[in-house]
Amino acid sequence: MSALEIENIRKTYGALETLKGIDISLESGEFLVLLGSSGCGKSTLLNIIAGLAEASGGDIRIGGRSILGVHPKDRDIAMVFQSYALYPNLTVHRNIGFGLEMRKVPVAEREKAVQETARLLQIENLLDRKPGQLSGGQRQRVAIGRALVRKPRVFLFDEPLSNLDAKLRMETRTELKRLHQMLGTTIVYVTHDQIEAMTLATRIAVMRNGRIEQLGTPEEVYDHPATLYVAGFVGSPPMNVLDGVVTGEGVQLDGSATVITLPARFKNAASAGRRVKLGVRPEALRLAADVAESPALAVEIEVVELTGPELVITGRVSGQKVTACLPPRTKLSVGMKQAFGFDEDALHLFDAQTELALG
Amino acid sequence: MSGTSMTTRAWLLMLPLLAVMIAVIGWPLADTVGLSFTDAKLVGTAGNFVGIDNYVKTLTSSSFQRTLTTTTIFAVISVFAEMILGVLAALLLNQQFYGRTVLRALMILPWALPTVVNATLWRLIYNPEYGALNAALTQIGMLDAYRSWLGEPGTALASLIIADCWKNFPLVALIALAALQAVPRDITAASLVDGAGPFARFRFVILPYLAGPLIVALVLRTIEAFKVFDIIWVMTRGGPANSTRTLSILVYQEAFSFQRAGSGASLALIVTLLVAVLAAVYAMLVRRTAGSTA
Repeated sequence: MSALEIENIRKTYGALETLKGIDISLESGEFLVLLGSSGCGKSTLLNIIAGLAEASGGDIRIGGRSILGVHPKDRDIAMVFQSYALYPNLTVHRNIGFGLEMRKVPVAEREKAVQETARLLQIENLLDRKPGQLSGGQRQRVAIGRALVRKPRVFLFDEPLSNLDAKLRMETRTELKRLHQMLGTTIVYVTHDQIEAMTLATRIAVMRNGRIEQLGTPEEVYDHPATLYVAGFVGSPPMNVLDGVVTGEGVQLDGSATVITLPARFKNAASAGRRVKLGVRPEALRLAADVAESPALAVEIEVVELTGPELVITGRVSGQKVTACLPPRTKLSVGMKQAFGFDEDALHLFDAQTELALG
Repeated sequence: MSGTSMTTRAWLLMLPLLAVMIAVIGWPLADTVGLSFTDAKLVGTAGNFVGIDNYVKTLTSSSFQRTLTTTTIFAVISVFAEMILGVLAALLLNQQFYGRTVLRALMILPWALPTVVNATLWRLIYNPEYGALNAALTQIGMLDAYRSWLGEPGTALASLIIADCWKNFPLVALIALAALQAVPRDITAASLVDGAGPFARFRFVILPYLAGPLIVALVLRTIEAFKVFDIIWVMTRGGPANSTRTLSILVYQEAFSFQRAGSGASLALIVTLLVAVLAAVYAMLVRRTAGSTA
């Protein structure tokens, strides 16, 4: 039986439809990340699962039981909020145990659960403090503790790392991953950060305009993006997208004589004359000796940025923008014209009109 | 610019305001203090120095003690009721419902009315011959015959408290409503998921956000209620049989009706001191609340 089943969930505000039929089935122990930009409907979906917003149609089942219309406290869920949402006048101890207190769990049992959770999150020394006396990272741990202590069937996380600084965000991300591996909990996690999605998820649902663009493992989403939107959203820097037209020999890039030979897997999908968008990830590009090396792009370098672990090159191929991520010691400078080669496997092809992946 | 010249400049800038304040507050206050140690009448001679006689007489007089009790009863009950009513009204007006904006605007009306208008309105409601309250209570069978609500010592103070509450609870409601809108949505949502019922949600989630603003409202309202004059003067003039006489009325009667300026001044200063003590206690509470929710 699935831990969480989301079936054709819709949400409308008057004439505006923010969720247009979402279907997801989650097995116990899965870590699902709802990934998308602001306004895509990911938080609305999470709030519907939590019972903080009503669905306009469809059904949600947790452990086989329909939970639509059920009070949030009876849904067997716990939620961690972006703003931590700790009760400011209660100590950390009472914050963590609040859900158990409200459910009238006996004091001894509650105390044991709070202490265990505090030990797990290494916050035993903070139990007597109030939220105002904690740092952002400590508050987030308390918020996670408040969710963990109840041992619900499904955990919901609403952009929990957004308010943390970059270093703390990375540390907390690793901590979340460790907790998930250790406890095997079922998690639905909302974020707009694709690095969080890639590192934490067992499956990612990339959302756009109230629909799921692609649902798959991080590898599937990254290596085989189903749409141009997914290709551009997942990956940093985003995938290079070059406009072109299919010819007998391959794809001729707009405004250029360069023709990229298509691998055999695209032969059936790409008929001559079809407008396409050709995708190559920046990290798939490498220095080539010559543009004659196929496939390759001749790039006029405009910007060179050393980030530390890599050198990010931004340039143009016949007016179309291209980014390449190279080893940090690469000797390139602004104004140079350099050929960049890539493996055929790294090539992605999308229909220019439908923006769906081809091949 | 050095610290010393900054301080000099600050004093120079404040000087005109200080001069005005000394003229309109400092001098009359000092004059009142001086007057309170004399047996001066309102008109006529300056009076003789009598030391602390006025204070001793006032503090030991039964009429002062009775009036202090009446004032305390009036202040405590009316402010307490205003707090309860105000918070309840704010909780109601914070819900989503059709016509909420109109109701919010209407609620401010009693507070926006001048006190004299409010007092006159309630005198009409309590009127023993054609008052709406008598009519309503007899029609629903709760009253056999019309009563003089403001004319009987047993009901006059309660009637005044009701009128004062009606006028002032909207202020508390407005302050509470503003505070309610500052309660983070996430915390309310977290309490729902945690299983907190309406009472627990109010106690653990909403009240901490209401406490600070409500203490400010409490300070303002208690001080005002303690020195109440206008509504009582218009409705009962402190009667019947002094049953609604508050400290401010007593000061007025002593200084202006009986023309005992020295004694009236000492009484006024005692009231001022009591209000100052109240203000200090509440200021301390406000600081403590601000510290605990930081």
